[in-house]
Amino acid sequence: MASLAPALEMRGMTKLFAGNTVLNGVSLSAAAGEVCALVGENGAGKSTLMKVLAGVHQPDAGEILLDGQTVRFHRPADALAHGVAMIYQELSLAPHLTVAENIFLGREPISFAPLGIVDRREMNKRAGRMLAGYGFKIDPRAPVSRLSAANRQLVEIARATLEAKRVLVMDEPTSSLTAHETEELFRLIRDLKARGLAIIYISHRLEELKRIADRLTILRDGQVVYAGVWGELSHAEIIRHMAGRELKEIFPARQTQKGAVRLRVEHLTRAGKFADVSFEARAGEVVGIAGLAGAGRTELVEAIFGAVPADSGEIHLDGARLNVRQPDRAVARGLGLLTEDRKRTGLCLNLPLARNLTLANLRALVRGWRLERRREREAAREYIERLHIRPPDPDKTVGRLSGGNQQKVLLARWLFAASQVFLLDEPTRGVDVAARIEIYRAINKLTEAGAAVVMVSSDLPELLGMADRILVMRRGRLVVELDARQTTQEEILRYAAVEEGAQAELEVAVQHFELTSHS
Amino acid sequence: MSDWIKRFLPFVSLLALCVVIAVLEPRFLSAANLASVARQTAVITIIAMGMTLVMVSGGIDLSVGSMMALAGVVGAFALANGAPVVAGVAASVLAGAACGLLNGGAITALRIPPFIVTLGAMGVYRGVALLITDGKAVVGLPPRFGYLAEGNLFGLVPVPLLVVVLVALATQFLLVSTRTGRYCYAIGSNVEAARYAGVRVAHYRIIFFVLLGALTGLAGAIESARLVTGQPTAGEGYELRVIAAVVIGGGSLSGGQGSVAGTIIGALIMGVLANGANLLGISSFTQQIVIGAVIVLAVTFDAFQRRRLETAAL
Ligand SMILES: Nc1ncnc2c1ncn2[C@@H]1O[C@H](COP(=O)(O)OP(=O)(O)OP(=O)(O)O)[C@@H](O)[C@H]1O
Ligand SMILES: [Mg+2]
Repeated sequence: MASLAPALEMRGMTKLFAGNTVLNGVSLSAAAGEVCALVGENGAGKSTLMKVLAGVHQPDAGEILLDGQTVRFHRPADALAHGVAMIYQELSLAPHLTVAENIFLGREPISFAPLGIVDRREMNKRAGRMLAGYGFKIDPRAPVSRLSAANRQLVEIARATLEAKRVLVMDEPTSSLTAHETEELFRLIRDLKARGLAIIYISHRLEELKRIADRLTILRDGQVVYAGVWGELSHAEIIRHMAGRELKEIFPARQTQKGAVRLRVEHLTRAGKFADVSFEARAGEVVGIAGLAGAGRTELVEAIFGAVPADSGEIHLDGARLNVRQPDRAVARGLGLLTEDRKRTGLCLNLPLARNLTLANLRALVRGWRLERRREREAAREYIERLHIRPPDPDKTVGRLSGGNQQKVLLARWLFAASQVFLLDEPTRGVDVAARIEIYRAINKLTEAGAAVVMVSSDLPELLGMADRILVMRRGRLVVELDARQTTQEEILRYAAVEEGAQAELEVAVQHFELTSHS
Repeated sequence: MSDWIKRFLPFVSLLALCVVIAVLEPRFLSAANLASVARQTAVITIIAMGMTLVMVSGGIDLSVGSMMALAGVVGAFALANGAPVVAGVAASVLAGAACGLLNGGAITALRIPPFIVTLGAMGVYRGVALLITDGKAVVGLPPRFGYLAEGNLFGLVPVPLLVVVLVALATQFLLVSTRTGRYCYAIGSNVEAARYAGVRVAHYRIIFFVLLGALTGLAGAIESARLVTGQPTAGEGYELRVIAAVVIGGGSLSGGQGSVAGTIIGALIMGVLANGANLLGISSFTQQIVIGAVIVLAVTFDAFQRRRLETAAL
């Protein structure tokens, strides 16, 4: 009997936030052993739909059925009790606990049952075995606060696989992963399918979905505009359904003259993170930085920005030495860093959109002592318009925007700050195809106006499409500089792969990108 | 909708409280009684303005009671030694600012949490105040000094009330209409994000502690004027009342939230509660219980609100 009903069915889900309809009669079903892809533009309601399923939000109408039985989840614990687990778009681990403690939170193995003493050794052992089994190279005893964004994501995934008995929701799980880890994740997903889990997978990367999805649901403005078997629609058709219009040229052409050197980095070193890194970026140029997770790319740009200073080496901005111990000096000199972790180092989540947008350049809004709030709102409106931030409300609490729209607010912050040298760390993380094009256009405008851009990205097609030169980092060192017009993904990956086991890693990675490259 | 509740709940509570007390005891609404409420809450409200800055920026200062006593006796010494009234008040303000600088400096330079630093400072300032006065009240203040606490402008407006209004207007302007105010909220909301946006976090945090110190010094002068002596034991337990005023008014113990209007209402709620209890003949022991319960309620409400936002931000 049970096998006739789909593992999960959501019917007529409706959700309002402050009177705005975010979900409008959405239905979705997923069978055991299937991956159901959920796509849609930023703010379409994907995360909200899944948070309703996970018990985070209460629906205003609609019902949820598991194996044909109606269920109600009043809180996340209810959903977990029914074997429904979710990996959230924003990281949600406890930073002060270790990897193993996070994975087993609330489920710690106990020795001396009556006393309830946590058996740490057993816990570390099990966590270690589990991570290794998944192919994740993470120390179970490391505190989460020390992990890179990619490794934190992997820990979240590991934890969720323990909790998920029937349904596993993954909300943009690969947005901070590189090719290699994505490959491990896909292998894991295939295992989970075989175990009979129903998986709902949200992503903006269609190339990725192509490899794992069995079904497809497309949301637009809180409504289902398509539901069917994966493969019925071409990529172009999917994008058209999401956007509700035709989209052209992913990487808009750029006409720029390279000018003087704006940023020069010499022998920059930070113990254990990167060593002897030297490069320069000229006016009008986009310099890409590629590498696997843990190669030291984020640490490098954070050091240039002064957020976590380097131990030695020099940074020159427009020919003058920049001696930064704190970002304020760098910002004052026209440097901007779009951070990789928008929740931790990017946004003041409980403050309004406009205040987050103007934070790095309030000087421009001050006359005498007074901050001109009218001009602030005008400025916010301008950037909301330019980057299509939705909803277009300067007073909206930024933590309540969808993930992709939060990312756009962060980019807008540095555009508003009129920075001259941009360090962009995964600038299109979680951003939909249409908005991506807006961001690429914005980058092109910047370089045309004489700015220099350093772009760290794990999205190789993006690097190839946007950068002039691509620097490849491997284990904290710059190993090669490639001309973006001449190189290929395979070549980049060959340099990025770590020496030992390089061949195997290369093979999966190359295979991944052969399948996923833009056609 | 819940934002709306959060905004107006303190105000509605204050109104309800006033109505209840006025019905039970009509004398509550007499001009003389209202003036005395204003005088009684002035000291707490002035310090609470500074505390709003510190708490919105994510800090806390437990030493304000002791600091007020120390600043009060410093000013009293100056006055007892023949300094003009203005100089005496200035001495208190400067002494408070110096204490604030010490607190803020220690917190940012040594990277110790404000809670710990100011808990220590609470003992230190009280000790210094007792030491320099030998534990005795500083007497011999000029009678004119009393005007600061007991005087009426145009024979109508209590002087402390006027000071409160001026301080509140200045704090409101600072918090809402200046860069410093913006940074205050940003630092309290997410200190790392503020730092990555180029905000000089340490610099501003020190400024907020210094401003709190200066206002505490001013409050100390008013308290001395009220007592017509410099009391080294003044202000005991004030830190709790001040922090309660901020929290009742919508300030958050974890920063990023709070407002001048809210804090004033919070201070008034506490003042009216105390005054009403006195009028109704409720013992001061019971009053303490009630005030404690109100604080816990306000904090619970704040925690509840925050959980909602965190869910939204997942
Ligand atoms: N807690 C909330 N309060 C108010 N509005 C909200 C809240 N959460 C989400 N929204 C709004 O609901 C809409 C849908 O958001 P949601 O996060 O579901 O989008 P999404 O499809 O996941 O987008 P993205 O691809 O950017 O992650 C957005 O307009 C967002 O601003
Ligand atoms: Mg989302």
